[in-house]
Amino acid sequence: MKTDGLDKLLQDTLKAEVAASAERLSDMEKRVVMELGERCPRLRGFQWLGQLLAPTRGTRLGQIVVVGATAAIFLFVGLTLSDRVLPEGGAPQVSLQPLRSADGTQEVVFVWPAPLDAKTVAVVGNFNAWEGTDLSDPDGDGIWTTSIPLSPGRYEYAFIVDGRWQGHDPRADEVIQSFGEYSSVRYIGRGGDGV
Amino acid sequence: MYRMQDEVSLLRASLQGDTGAWGEIISRYKDAILGLCLGFMRNRADAEDVSHDAFIRAYVNLRRYDLERRFSTWLFTIAANLCRNKLRYRKNHPSTEQPLQIRGGIDPAKLVGAEDRQAKIRKVLAKMPYGYRAPLVLRFYNELPYQEISSILSIPEGTVKTRIHRGKAMLKDLFEEGA
Repeated sequence: MKTDGLDKLLQDTLKAEVAASAERLSDMEKRVVMELGERCPRLRGFQWLGQLLAPTRGTRLGQIVVVGATAAIFLFVGLTLSDRVLPEGGAPQVSLQPLRSADGTQEVVFVWPAPLDAKTVAVVGNFNAWEGTDLSDPDGDGIWTTSIPLSPGRYEYAFIVDGRWQGHDPRADEVIQSFGEYSSVRYIGRGGDGV
Repeated sequence: MYRMQDEVSLLRASLQGDTGAWGEIISRYKDAILGLCLGFMRNRADAEDVSHDAFIRAYVNLRRYDLERRFSTWLFTIAANLCRNKLRYRKNHPSTEQPLQIRGGIDPAKLVGAEDRQAKIRKVLAKMPYGYRAPLVLRFYNELPYQEISSILSIPEGTVKTRIHRGKAMLKDLFEEGA
């Protein structure tokens, strides 16, 4: 970029101002990461329900209601227009493919591509009281799967790979943060609530 | 271990909840973000606060970021929006902080000429309207192309060019007047 004297002076002035904040900048990473941890405590088990209903969480409740309602509307429109419940996209990380049965219960397939040396992969969520359901990889290709029958409703879940929390499912309807980590949320069926 | 990783890997790891990877992203962008905020806001305390908040806001909303797009544009947009919101707030709640000055670490004898000129530029920047100051900062401090500035400030590319042209003329006039 071609600059004349004033352009350079403007640039140097702002660089000097940034340099003058060096002390404050030096631990910005630490402060941000610490605040993220404090802001987003993980909600284990059914604690999320208590938090949801607590009077001090009005904003959070409002946000969740709006997001939930929006997700339900999109889900309803999607179901009306297509027989495919949740179309597969290009994201390679995780897929969750509900197979619907007549009574509304769906055999939901959880898939997690883990490193080839992974020893255990489990899915935890409010459908199994966060106790963990093991995934298996019989052909050793690193794609771990399990299926769990789920009735219509809203489900929070995460994967545990060799003891490490993997909460971000790119295909989830929502990803929420709790206790400093992500959990994924999936809506099954038309109602999208009532777990 | 993070220093060797490319940006997309760090962002993917951050999406998985790896805050260490996010820390490396902050290291890479904190100077650019603080410079942007200082240029936009002309108030050190507010600029530092907004820079911090921009990284928090970006992490919390990282899932909305499209990995196919340029990350810096997305991050700069968040910071620019936070600056604009804070400036609106400051209209009704003026800050008691003194105008921007460089504090400490400078040899006055050695830098007196440059310091004078920089002090003058600081005064000029403070006098310039935000609509002209912001594109100038993005162009000459962050060294962004017109298209990216247009995206960050949500104004047409032609308007960006006009404002930069007029902003430079304004900068020159005010500088020569002695601000």
